[in-house]
Amino acid sequence: MIHPSIGQRGSAEALIAVQTLSKVYPTVNGGYVHALDNVDIDIGEGEFVSIVGPSGCGKSTLLRIIAGLDVHDEGRLILAGRDIAGPSPDVGVVFQAANLLPWLTVRENVRLPLRVGGKKKQSGTSVDDLLAMTGLGEFGERYPYELSGGMQQRAGICRALARNPRILLMDEPFGALDALTRERMNLELQNIWQTHKKTVILITHSISEALFLGNRVIVMSARPGRIIADLKVDIPRPRSLDSIILHPEYARLSSEIRGLLNAQGEVE
Amino acid sequence: MSMAAATDIKSRPLIAPKPLKRSWLESRLLPLLGVIILISAWSLAVHRLHVPPYILPAPEAAAKALWSGIAVSPFSPLGYYLPLWSTLKNAAIGFLIGSGLGLFLGSLMAESRIFEKLFMPYAFALQSLPKVAIAPLIVIWFGFGDGSKVAISALLAFFPMLINSFTGLRSVDPEKVDLMRSLSASRFETYRIVKLPHAAPFIFAGIDMAVVYAFLGTIVAEFLGAQQGMGVVITKAQAVTDVAGVFAALFILGFVGILLHATVQKIDRKMVHWNRRGQK
Repeated sequence: MIHPSIGQRGSAEALIAVQTLSKVYPTVNGGYVHALDNVDIDIGEGEFVSIVGPSGCGKSTLLRIIAGLDVHDEGRLILAGRDIAGPSPDVGVVFQAANLLPWLTVRENVRLPLRVGGKKKQSGTSVDDLLAMTGLGEFGERYPYELSGGMQQRAGICRALARNPRILLMDEPFGALDALTRERMNLELQNIWQTHKKTVILITHSISEALFLGNRVIVMSARPGRIIADLKVDIPRPRSLDSIILHPEYARLSSEIRGLLNAQGEVE
Repeated sequence: MSMAAATDIKSRPLIAPKPLKRSWLESRLLPLLGVIILISAWSLAVHRLHVPPYILPAPEAAAKALWSGIAVSPFSPLGYYLPLWSTLKNAAIGFLIGSGLGLFLGSLMAESRIFEKLFMPYAFALQSLPKVAIAPLIVIWFGFGDGSKVAISALLAFFPMLINSFTGLRSVDPEKVDLMRSLSASRFETYRIVKLPHAAPFIFAGIDMAVVYAFLGTIVAEFLGAQQGMGVVITKAQAVTDVAGVFAALFILGFVGILLHATVQKIDRKMVHWNRRGQK
């Protein structure tokens, strides 16, 4: 079912427009789960949007739909002025736990997007530059099992950037890393975002990660998955890990998000 | 006190790592000892317990028969070389046809639900059928020449490859398929770059079985009637109750079997190197 009113909604400059989006999954016992219910988001070019929410709030489903990996049941999804119908070369996906192919070297993994999908040699960024930028310059000929978890995810980010997409979708990319590596990866991601001017959607369980990286933090509720808050993070950049926690805005937003999630009965 | 302890630790030499290799005793001597015990028991049974030679030949008689087959010109009709060449050639052709078809149909069934529904129930039913029992039928269809040997080898090599390639291709991590979908990769690209390498350990296990089965299939076919091959060497020796000759031929077959298995293992380790190191 398509809502007739939605065509007007959404600002003109939105790169990604999610409009009254719903997704329903059938359950085993014949019932239904509303993974997403009436979700509206407008994301402008160059924004960094963090999405937090309890497990099962449909945030991964939302990301999969924007990536073109899942189909929505209701509503519209517009990417750069066009309705999304399947995966787009304008979108790079960073998966949980890197998701590298263990039989390919790091360089071959990063180069993968350039040799599949009929997109021959359209790259704007060279694989060597990407590897050098993330400190993997010396590790191009190594195999993923020879790398630490943090280095594997760096390679995963390089791979998502290989086609030079406008949008980067990240689904809990640092969830499997230890706290120190995670902080370092957050700093690197901020640098990548600032130098490459990408539009990023980051899904995370960590409130501090969401606030450190995001211009906006979207808070979702579980079953049905809805947006319960869309908060602007007015903290100047570049942000550093030890100065951000002293910023009054950080403390205020952090406790507000915590309160919203606590009301959901789940928080990390 | 604590300072002194700290410098102590720093100045202390690093502990030498324990050697990772198993000791010489464990890897070489013990298997050798096993063979010596086996041959002694065999010799004891023949010479002390007087087991008749038409049941169990003396070890030295079997060794002599083995030597008479090895120490001849490669083209001598009395040696093992010509029959072994014939058997291996037919087994190799059968293996290539059978395992190739197995991989092809296994891939087709893994990729297409329709093909799976169409053939998988029968593939499993046929798998549980003792395929050697079909051998006489195949001899009727293909005759006593090389054709029936190749056909039975191919049949035996087919099933492990079919089942293993199907299982391996289906066990691929869905996140890796999602990755390829997010890159708009074609179906064949996903198969070639993700699914086939992922299934490689399964496929190599299938090849390991298929190689031995193809070898076995040729010999069974030769038992049913053939002009040449190791199966013929065995039936000829059996016809004149030359038990030592049968033993010698069996030794050759066992040796070739071990060699084939070791070769497949070596190729497997080289090609699927990423599977054996910490990668989940």
